[in-house]
Amino acid sequence: MKTAALIGNPNVGKTSLFNILTGSNQYVGNWSGVTVEKKEGFLDSKLKIVDLPGIYAMDTFSSEEMVAKEFLVNEEADFIINIVDASNLERNLYLTTQLKEFSIPIVLVLNMIDVAESKGIEINYELLSEKLGVTVVPISASKSKGIEKLKVLLIGGNFLSVSSDNDFQFHSEKDAYEFISKLLSICINKEYSNKKTSTELIDIFVLNKFLAYPLFFLMLFLIFKFTFSWVGQPLAAYLSYLINNELVPLLSNLLGNSSPWFSSLILHGIVGGVGSVIVFLPVILSLFLGISFLEDSGYMARAAFIMDKAMRKMGLSGKAFIPIIVGFGCSVPAIMSARTLESEKDRKLTALLVPLMSCNARLPVYALFASAFFPGHETTVVFSLYLLGILLAFSLGILFKNTIFKKDEEPFIIELPEYKAPEIKNLLTHTWDKGKGFLKKAGTMIFSVSVVIWLLSNFNLSGMTDINSSILASIGRFVSPIFIPLGFSNWQNSVSLITGLMAKEVILGSMGVIYGGNLRVSLIGNFTQLSAYSFLVFVLLYTPCVSVIATMKKEFGTKMAAFSVFYQLSLAWVVSFIVYRVGTIFIK
Amino acid sequence: MELGEKAFIHSIAGNEKLMKRLMALGCIEGTEVCLKNCAPFGDPLIINLRGCDFCIRKKDAKNISIKDTQEE
Repeated sequence: MKTAALIGNPNVGKTSLFNILTGSNQYVGNWSGVTVEKKEGFLDSKLKIVDLPGIYAMDTFSSEEMVAKEFLVNEEADFIINIVDASNLERNLYLTTQLKEFSIPIVLVLNMIDVAESKGIEINYELLSEKLGVTVVPISASKSKGIEKLKVLLIGGNFLSVSSDNDFQFHSEKDAYEFISKLLSICINKEYSNKKTSTELIDIFVLNKFLAYPLFFLMLFLIFKFTFSWVGQPLAAYLSYLINNELVPLLSNLLGNSSPWFSSLILHGIVGGVGSVIVFLPVILSLFLGISFLEDSGYMARAAFIMDKAMRKMGLSGKAFIPIIVGFGCSVPAIMSARTLESEKDRKLTALLVPLMSCNARLPVYALFASAFFPGHETTVVFSLYLLGILLAFSLGILFKNTIFKKDEEPFIIELPEYKAPEIKNLLTHTWDKGKGFLKKAGTMIFSVSVVIWLLSNFNLSGMTDINSSILASIGRFVSPIFIPLGFSNWQNSVSLITGLMAKEVILGSMGVIYGGNLRVSLIGNFTQLSAYSFLVFVLLYTPCVSVIATMKKEFGTKMAAFSVFYQLSLAWVVSFIVYRVGTIFIK
Repeated sequence: MELGEKAFIHSIAGNEKLMKRLMALGCIEGTEVCLKNCAPFGDPLIINLRGCDFCIRKKDAKNISIKDTQEE
């Protein structure tokens, strides 16, 4: 089997071409050690295509470039498919000149020839091929032109081999660009036109001083609505309705005659676990449909551009605003969307800060406590918690920026691509990739943890029991002393917090079971106003739910996930401690 | 530089990463560059290099010094 490396600048249609060539026959993962997406696919049984990250050059130190370079240096590729934007050859060919140095045959795919033609660019393919010593294939991925020819060529392996005399050794960028200019002056016929392109026209509105932010927030609002109130969440709610009201009764009928532990394992352990994974799926899919739309249309780069100044204060680039905002809905898709950020540092920092944004699942806990302990001031209390999360995210962003992420400060230069209508097929492929990845990687972990928690809360050493005398309750009793300084140290609260790892709204469910009776009344006997607030602060900040941990592990590895768990636990403890102690002084 | 103004690049300073990055994008001595736009709060900027728009922060852009004419 032969291996081809697909490589090119960002925004030249590399992903489209990859999808066209390999169809659904692909595998998505991460390159080892870095959070750069690795995609592999098969054109036919004899040709594997590896999609390398979109880069501008081989030697400018980003993790994407390292990955690409390493792959080519280790000679894992039999040939290179270098895709370039035919309407902007000058910059695109710079990468080509660098690829020549690897002495691997190159098939130069000129994409977007239709765009180039409409810009009045005429290209002499034969001359270009001869001068560069590569096989040149003009295509238009969006209009499916030239694809069949390309496929035949790739499968047949009928292209120029590497010539022995490699005269593509440039001493500086300047030499390389001079070579390209000379080359293009003979290969290209370009009519210059001064009329404003449609991209420039759109930018007049989108980047307008007064309209830029309203438009941006409108986009965000629409995506948020789409995900959390129009499509994603209702579908999720419907799925969980189906599971709880159709599947569960059906199963409990079927299991009527089996032993209680078995039916509980199936119903609460397995169905509960699988259910908690599946209900995330519609939310993730709809969010990613929205984000892919912004990416593919070219708007995302503009959003990064206008938000950069604010986000830079917390050590992030403008693009990170989107994951952070999504975090208010749910941290799982937010952390997954951090993948769209440019640098590794940004991705990691964003993922660490996202869980501080108070997600939907925490709201029921706030709502109940606020109405029980602060009647008349519910909004203020809940709002203060959201605000606390944001303030802490800013401070920690600054702290992390100056400590653990100090070394890799990367220059922030992003291309503002031309606007184009996104292709439905690409949007769907991209979206489905995310969903599949989540189900496979995060899903298995969420599922297994659910079953473990079920075991702990339904058994003790002498057999099956209820939650009050379960192993979990013993664990609760064991850990509860650490909550003494925070003002809520009975074991019931500790157990609820532990089960809250499943999903934060579960805290209420557990409290309901443990305290029994009317939760609002029984809570008042167990908390003061101050310890209730301290508890809420802890709920806001402590380790996110198992789905988030699983997502973190999937995207960034075990170490990051462990760090995230540990730092949030300490943060929650410290902040609740401060709140409780300072509060005690004032209330006395 | 004023918005909409065009000039030629004289030299690039700054740390190695930034220089490499800019030069890979074709930001090289003698290249024409145009300041196209700036974000609503004045930073970052959009510059046009060889037919492409790029977004760059002011503090990085400061490292690109410019001149009025293209010399050989």
